[in-house]
This record gives sequence, structure tokens and C-alpha cells, in this order.
Amino acid sequence: MAFRRFLLGAALVMATPALGAGDAAPANKSFTGATANLAPGDPPGQWTRQARDYANTRYSPLAQINKANVGKLRIAWTFSDGQMYGHEGAPLVVGDTMYLVTPFPNIAYALDLSKAGAPIKWVFQPNPDPRAIGEACCDKVLRGWAYADGKLIYNLLDDHTVAVDAATGKEVWRTLLDDVTKGPTLTQAAFTVGNKVFVGSSGGELGTNGWFAALDVKDGHVIWKALTNGPDSTMLIGPDFKPFYPWMQGKDLGVSTWPGEMWKQGASAPWGWVSYDPDLNQIYYGTSNPGPRVPSQRPGLNLWSSAVFARDADTGAAKWAYQFTPHDEWDYDGVNENVLIEIPWKGARRKVMVHFNRNGFAYTIDRATGEVLVAEPFGLQNWAKKVDLATGMPIVNDAAHPIVEKKVTNICPPDIGVKNWNPSAFSPRTGLLYAGVFNSCMDLTNHEVKYIPGAPYDGMEMQRHAGPGGNWGEFIAWDPVKGKRIWSIKENLYVWSGAVVTGSDLVFYGTMDGWFRAVDARSGKVLWSQKLGSGITAAPMTFLGPDKRQYVAVYAGVGGGAGVLRRENGFMPGGNTLYVFSVDGLGIGSGTTQLVSHATAAAPISVPPAAAHN
Amino acid sequence: MKHLVLIVALTATPAFAQVTADTPNPAAVTPASAQVVADTPNPLAGKADAVEAGHALFGQMNCAGCHAYDLTGGMGPDLTDNSWQYGGKPGEIFHTIAEGTPRGMPAWKDKLTPDQIWQIVTYIQSKHAN
Repeated sequence: MAFRRFLLGAALVMATPALGAGDAAPANKSFTGATANLAPGDPPGQWTRQARDYANTRYSPLAQINKANVGKLRIAWTFSDGQMYGHEGAPLVVGDTMYLVTPFPNIAYALDLSKAGAPIKWVFQPNPDPRAIGEACCDKVLRGWAYADGKLIYNLLDDHTVAVDAATGKEVWRTLLDDVTKGPTLTQAAFTVGNKVFVGSSGGELGTNGWFAALDVKDGHVIWKALTNGPDSTMLIGPDFKPFYPWMQGKDLGVSTWPGEMWKQGASAPWGWVSYDPDLNQIYYGTSNPGPRVPSQRPGLNLWSSAVFARDADTGAAKWAYQFTPHDEWDYDGVNENVLIEIPWKGARRKVMVHFNRNGFAYTIDRATGEVLVAEPFGLQNWAKKVDLATGMPIVNDAAHPIVEKKVTNICPPDIGVKNWNPSAFSPRTGLLYAGVFNSCMDLTNHEVKYIPGAPYDGMEMQRHAGPGGNWGEFIAWDPVKGKRIWSIKENLYVWSGAVVTGSDLVFYGTMDGWFRAVDARSGKVLWSQKLGSGITAAPMTFLGPDKRQYVAVYAGVGGGAGVLRRENGFMPGGNTLYVFSVDGLGIGSGTTQLVSHATAAAPISVPPAAAHN
Repeated sequence: MKHLVLIVALTATPAFAQVTADTPNPAAVTPASAQVVADTPNPLAGKADAVEAGHALFGQMNCAGCHAYDLTGGMGPDLTDNSWQYGGKPGEIFHTIAEGTPRGMPAWKDKLTPDQIWQIVTYIQSKHAN
């Protein structure tokens, strides 16, 4: 009963109204004063990495498409890649070429943007091992791909990273990083900085032991590799490692916080996003849930699951870590994006990261030290009363603990979180973050499991249901300094797409029931919506074509973890189409009324005159 | 002699709790799947104790991790919907479990006895209204 009352209280707190007119910041003023280092400072029209910059802002300075003309966005061209698994990545645009990679079997395409209809320049088929299909927990996806040093670099589901010559589509190198038959796969978006490509393993539900590696962009050799559970020496934990909170300090905690040798199947797979901080030469990435998902089988903190790491980008040496959900009992992975920004804090500027965790708290963390400055709920949660900022520990609600072979009802959020891997965006103009979030709870029955290599190591039986209001999803604007929502748009299903925000204060996101929307970044007003051919679980992006015209692109191909709602009304069938939009649908080759391509006019056919009828 | 062989065979079959990934198949002399064809009837068809044993194995062998505790699928296909990629006859289901599939289902013939596979088949069949 106490739990019920708490849930009701949480529901009331969450039922905050959308932005009132009086709350709006003036047209060109930041709501928070937060800014970001937008290195590497690519040309404004290019999109050469998944989040556009090292900081993971997904901010584009482009402003040709603005509040006045966004209502005239129309389809300029489309491209279907034929693969039916979930589509999650954003296209890259480098020069006059767009690069796409499909979900399994991970086929790469280069499209020529300088020609009408963006024809294919080359296709690369890597033919990954199909046994990987049975080892990927949550659809056979790929969250993104990278461009560096004239190469397109990405992960194959069967545990290879591959580099392809961006000009010719020929393979340059391919590196094997794990044994797919034992459970690990690669679904992560490879991330490049300088001469390195950073790769993290997937397999949180497969009894894997997670790892994170840096490979050489030139030839693919492994420069360093760090396990996420295990003795300090295997994790590249040494004298430089200084976690902020005492409970994460000590020797070999990646072993001693597990029973026996269970760390070896403890998962903690870093399958999410990577950020790079040029000021401190550090990379940041998170780790997945511990394995198995049944907590009673693994008493202890289970470090370093459901945590974030800061590491030296060159050596891999760990600098600090922070475990968001100690002894994670609900599958609250810590792999979501870490957006690197600077905020005004108690009279000074602080270099921080903002992280929307699956567990429902949005953390603003000092990225030099790992100190948590802000940890506030950004959506419906009731597993914790709060995060104690003095210790960095959540105060867990007693009624939220799972019990083996007994149904525990109304734990919020369910395993998939208040937000999943779907990346947020940050605008240095508004000082806000924009994120698709989930409004749901679960009834949970745990079953003890044994480890069988290559089979799921899981044990959670769940019924998920929508939270108060009946809507499964929302799209929100978030103040990372005060830790509060600025506005929210309710959506029928989970909002599982990424977001992009532009220099004209437009935010783009998509819904699982197929709507692609443009929103006023200040007020949350929906300015344009287009229904696409499938649900959207990919990240949108924007670029300038060779014609100096601004385009917005997004894949419609619902899938991945979003499949948990496949039986809900409105959930669309899968798809594989990239949609590219421009004002009035104009683009290369546009004539006055139609696209001018090689098929501009019918050729006269010489037909002998019909015989005269007599 | 015959009795002796039988006793040896029985004691050589490890209890379920002792079966690991590397446990050799006790039925290896007569490979589990070799004698089963699509039209082989389920020798345990309709037996309540087989349904119960199959249910337990479905959880213990982590089948539920892919096919869900209610068999409606997730990481792997739905087993309740009468749509079978590799055939829905008892012998075909047996074969799929024993040999695995090219699209990711592991082969279980080295981890389960033919009897245990038939128990799982019986459990799956029990979820289909005729």
C-alpha cells in the first residue's frame, strides 16, 4: 500500500503542465546559460559523425529551414535499402557524398548528392556471420557509423569492425574483436577521434563480459582494450583512477563486488554512445546492466555495471567512474549518451556532462571529477526516492525490489527505462536538451537462471503498461542546471527516435507511429509533421547539399528495443526508407514543376503510319 | 550383459543439474536428431508430466530469454502463433531444437537428451489450441 501511495505521489509530481506562456525565454536568449565546445568544428553543412560533434550535441548551426518556412518541408527524394531490421543510425554527409549502413547484414551505401535523385556510387557487402542473428538481444541493429581518414568505419553484428575506402567502397581492413557464438555482438556506433576508432561490445542479456577498445584508424589494430568487469589490470585501472565517491574507491572492485567469479558473465557491455572531451583528452561511455538480470543471484554492488567511465583517450587509463544504479535490479543500463556542456554553477563555469539514465534520473556530472551536481527525475519513476547528492547513492524504494517467483507490480520504469539509447540534442542557443522519453511501468516476476554460453542470461518476466495519462511517450525540453522540464509533448507510443536541433531553433524528432515532426525549440509548439512509411527509431540529421540547400534526413524503419510495443495499437510495420526533405521538396535537378533527371522527355518512336482504312 | 549395459548407460547420464556446455551427449551413440523426421510422432504427446518437465526446461535452459516466458517471442520468434519458419510438426520442432537454425537458434542436441527435447516439444504444443 505504501508503494501505491508513493506511485500516486510520483504521478502527481510528473503531471506537470506544458510550458506556460510566461515561462518562455526571449527569442534569442538562453534559458540556462549552458554552452558547448562544438569541436571538431566541421563545416556547417557537413555531418561527418553520428552526433555531429565530439560533445554529442546533435546541434546544427544551419538556419535556412526556419520557423517561417518549415511548414513547406516536402520530400525531395527517398532511398530504400531493403533490410527489415530496425533502423537506428543517422546518415553521414561528407563532401558531396552521403553514407548509409543497413542493419544486419550491414551493407554500406554511398550516394552521390551532386546528381538528381542521389544515385548509388558504390555498395559494400561485408557478409557477416548469420549466427550473430541469434545472439543480438534487441533486434539486429546498428546505431551508427563513422567517417575518418577517407574511410567509412563501422561495426558488424558478428564482432568485426570494418573500414571501407570512402571513395571506392573497397574493404581496407577488418578486425575480429570477440566470439559471437558465446553471446557478444556489435551494435554500437563506432566513434572516431584522430587516429583512433572506439568500439564497445553488446550483450547485456547474454552473460558476456563487456569490453571497450580503441583501434587504429589506419590498419584496425587494437591499441588498447579494457574490460568492464574484472581485476583492475584487465580494466586499465591504475593510479590515475579517482572515483569521486568513497564507495567506488578500492582495489579490484570489478571482482570483489560480485559473488565468486560471476563477474566473468557480468555483462556491463558498453553498447551506447561515446563522447570525447578535447579539453581534458578524455572519452566517456557507459556500461550496461549486470548479468544475469536477476539481482538475488549476484549480491553486491556489481561494479562496473550500469556506470559511466572517463578514460584517457590515448592510453585508455581510467580516470573516474560513477555507478548510476548500484546492484542494478531492474535492467537500468548506463549506456545512454553523455552530452558534454558547460554550465553556470554557483558563480563559476563548470565543465559537465548531462546523462538521461534509463533509471529516470537526469544527471549533470562534473566531467573532470565525476561529482554529481544535479540528479532529478525527467519522467515517471518510483524505484528510488531520490539520489543522495552527498553520497551519490540512490535511496531505493523498498517496494521496488524484485522477488524470485513472485509478481511485484507497478515498478516504474520497466527494463527499457524512462529513456533508452535514443540520443538527445543540446542547443547552445536555448541552453536546453531535447529528448524522447517513455512513460511506463512494469509488473515483474523474476526467475533464477543458469549461465549457458551463447544463450540469454536473463530471468526477467515482465508485463509493461503505460503510465498515468495513458500515453506511452513524450518529447521533452530539459533544463540541465535546475534539473527540470521546460515543456513536454505527449505521444501515443514511446518516443524512441533521436533528435536534432538547429541554429533556427527547430527541433526534429520522430514517433513510433510514423510522424516526423519539427518543433519550436523554445515553446515546444509543433510546426510541421509528416507521416512516414514506418515508425521512426533512428536519429535525424540535417545538411547542406552541393546546391547549398538545407536538407533534413531521417530513416523510417521501426525496430530494435522498440519492438516491445509491437502489439500496441498504432505500432507500424518495419521499413527501410531514408526520407530527405527540403523546402518545397526542391533539390538538385529540380525544374519548375518536377525533378529533371535523365528521363526528361519521351523519345519519339518511329511508327509507320497506320494503313488507311478503306 | 544386457542389463549391465543398461545400468551403465543410466549412470552415465548426468542429472540435469550437472549438465554443462561441455557435457557430452549421453545419446551420442544414436544421435538425437538422426532418427527423427518431420513425420515422427511425439512419443510424449499430451502427457501432463512431459508438459510440466518441458515447462521447467524452457526456463532452465534459458529458452524464455529469447522466446519469452509466455512463448510469445522477443529476441526470438513467437512460438504460439502457428507460423513456423522451420516447420510446426512435432518432428520438425524437435529437429529445430536439436540442430538449431542458420538464423541464430543454437543447437541443443549436445546439451539435452532426446527425451528432454521431446518434453520441450510437448510443452510448446500444449500452448497451441487445436
